[in-house]
Amino acid sequence: MSCFLRKSLRLKGFSLFHHILASSTWFSCRHFSHSHSLPYNNTSPRFLVPSGSYSNGYWSQHNRFWTSETAATEPSTSDGLTLQGILSYNWAVLDENDSDWKSHASAIAQSIHLIKRRLQWRKLKVRLDMLSVQLNKADLWDDPVHAGKISREHGSLLGKMKEVNALEQELLEHIDMIKLARQENDQDLESESLKALLNMRREAKEKELEALLSGEQDSCSCYIEVQAGAGGTESMDWAAMVMQMYKSWAQQRGYKVTVMDEMPGEIAGIKRATIKVDGEFAFGYAKAEVGVHRLVRISPFDSNKRRHTSFAAVAVIPILGDGSTHVQINESDLRIERFRAGGAGGQHVNTTESAVRIVHIPTGVTATCQNERSQHQNKASAMAVLQSRLDQLEMARQAQLNAHHTQSLTDITWGSQIRSYVLHPYRMVKDLRTNYEVSDPDSVLEGDLDGFILSYLSASLDEDEDEA
Amino acid sequence: MKLSLSSVYRPYRFPTLINSSALGRPFCSPALSSPSTILKPQVPLFLRPPINSTKLCDLKKWHDWAKGVATSIGSAFVHSDNGPDSSLLCREIKWLMEDAVEDHSVFSHVGLEGDECVKMRVDIEELYCLWKQRVQERRPFQYIVGCEHWRDLVLSVQEGVLIPRPETELIVDFVCDVVSKNEDLKRGVWADLGTGSGALAIGIGRVLESEGRVIATDLSHVAVSVAAYNVKRYCLQDKIELREGSWFEPLRDMEGKLAGLVSNPPYIPSKDISGLQAEVGRHEPRVALDGGIDGMDALLHLCDGAALMLKPGGFFAFETNGEQQCRALVDYMENNRSGSFCNFEILADFAGIQRFVIGFHQ
Repeated sequence: MSCFLRKSLRLKGFSLFHHILASSTWFSCRHFSHSHSLPYNNTSPRFLVPSGSYSNGYWSQHNRFWTSETAATEPSTSDGLTLQGILSYNWAVLDENDSDWKSHASAIAQSIHLIKRRLQWRKLKVRLDMLSVQLNKADLWDDPVHAGKISREHGSLLGKMKEVNALEQELLEHIDMIKLARQENDQDLESESLKALLNMRREAKEKELEALLSGEQDSCSCYIEVQAGAGGTESMDWAAMVMQMYKSWAQQRGYKVTVMDEMPGEIAGIKRATIKVDGEFAFGYAKAEVGVHRLVRISPFDSNKRRHTSFAAVAVIPILGDGSTHVQINESDLRIERFRAGGAGGQHVNTTESAVRIVHIPTGVTATCQNERSQHQNKASAMAVLQSRLDQLEMARQAQLNAHHTQSLTDITWGSQIRSYVLHPYRMVKDLRTNYEVSDPDSVLEGDLDGFILSYLSASLDEDEDEA
Repeated sequence: MKLSLSSVYRPYRFPTLINSSALGRPFCSPALSSPSTILKPQVPLFLRPPINSTKLCDLKKWHDWAKGVATSIGSAFVHSDNGPDSSLLCREIKWLMEDAVEDHSVFSHVGLEGDECVKMRVDIEELYCLWKQRVQERRPFQYIVGCEHWRDLVLSVQEGVLIPRPETELIVDFVCDVVSKNEDLKRGVWADLGTGSGALAIGIGRVLESEGRVIATDLSHVAVSVAAYNVKRYCLQDKIELREGSWFEPLRDMEGKLAGLVSNPPYIPSKDISGLQAEVGRHEPRVALDGGIDGMDALLHLCDGAALMLKPGGFFAFETNGEQQCRALVDYMENNRSGSFCNFEILADFAGIQRFVIGFHQ
């Protein structure tokens, strides 16, 4: 039997498992009927998303069937293990290389749980039910535009729900398979199933990450700006350290880093600087860094070796792709100035300083670039920065109209204190939002930020969930 | 990574043997060239072959030394003649390294340590000399690296040729504006008088239609050679013609035919020359700076010539020393050349100084 099973699995994949079981006498009827009645296990084409051509009668029938079924039965393994069950066991998540199915299962369950949170699962179900009700209305197609919209949204939400449900189902099937293999003492099947579980673990992790970064601008490149707080050279040095941290982080992630603007301090460090980080999801990750970063250490600039606390503020601005709505900038609304201009200019002066500052008069938003070697190029770069700032402003304005997003979007300016870096008297970096902490500040300052970023992104899902 | 970085600094990847193949012949055929004095322009540092090799640690040693020298300057130059301060000099060190080192990715190594070798376009000894010249002799940075980034161009420059200024970039913007509204001017013949490195001619050449042409003149043989080199680097030989000679002299055949005329002539009053910033006064060609007693000699001459050379509706743009000269120039045109020009405008540069006079021929 197990030999036959393996062969079928290889040929047709796991989805056939239950059909195979159905023809066997190895499993109780209870289990078989249970799993077969699950809606996402149904491969009938009738379950495809409606294109609007279905009759109302069919739809209502179909939807009632679907919604009631999900509510009634939570998918489980043959011995009744559910996703919630796996989560509540709290099995330790070990390294991928440890071939422990419980570890894999736990990791996958956590990923699925997180994806559900990101989708606002409960709200999603409510919304889906509401859409179903609307789709059931007899006069729906009197307004074809509205009907199309409803039916499209229904289809898209249904698709998302089915995808997650399929993941959940797949996990439980794998577990069933492993248990079966053990019962059968079939080591080949067990290792094969374990391998499948491991693949699924990786896939679920990727999906989890996608779910974390599903914000509208998350996939964009971005600008990161660091500004030194009050406190002279010590805080300018700190700002330079923070900027270096982001440069290293971005390079380690394979992003391209370009310095747009850098205003050095008189003795050391920077007053402020802007870098451009080019690559997929740069904004999605970097937005977690917005806020004030605090450093505590014995200042190397203090001859009395006293302990100092300094601050650096970080802002992150998405660079919208070409497809997005750009704010139209009127040339006449701009004032373009030579930065650090002075003296007679023209032929009198030879300088390699060609920085340009652009002021958008109606909003007062400014942008400077001094990294390029010609004024023309500095102006072009500064215009790009200005464009992104104005786009961001416009997004925040629009978001205020959609009250729900206001919070998250207005956060993407200079925020409040988010993280502490203590080098003395003890050594620790702690995120004040998530309480995530690391006892090795050096590695963090060398760009090892992913732990902080991911824990923040997950935590902000919790907030979304709470709000919902 | 390497490729994308290098292309940032080299907008056009020309083969580095551009110069050696010329074999002493001028790149273009200037109408009035004198074959006896053929000049071979210098190749900018960033285009030289990377035939030298230096250990990273030695480069780092140079870098630290150069930075130390730059830092020790503080704001001494600023106080003496409004020269560069140490932060500007430090940025120049970075740019010098970018031009001198073949593979820029070495800069992302935080340490720059080790025995690893990097390929360089210049010997490390010469790099020491160059930076000494920069700081001790105040030799302009653009002459050190042999180029100036101007608009989206990288132009070769050398002693004897005025380094194009950022202010002058705006003249190309004015021309862009004018030709975008007037197809006839876009297809016409333009002139850049006293072209120097060829900056304005090349900038304008790139915004004209395919039929449009530019004639660039300069009195200086060095300037004409360098301009020709730059024109060739941007493959504009068919569009830009270089003529050696003083102002309108080489343009006798163009009377009443020019669609446009631009110039950044010498406009500094003679008495101010001695007080100039060392980079300018000690190193740049006086002939490109000194505009006579009130600095207006060339500008007035250009006005007179423009009235003769421009066709009806033709456009002109001149750079001046500032507000005073702008007003004087407009006065002169209104009083002495009344009826020749119209639609004058005085325009400011990005520092807010009234810098340009533009207008049209009646």
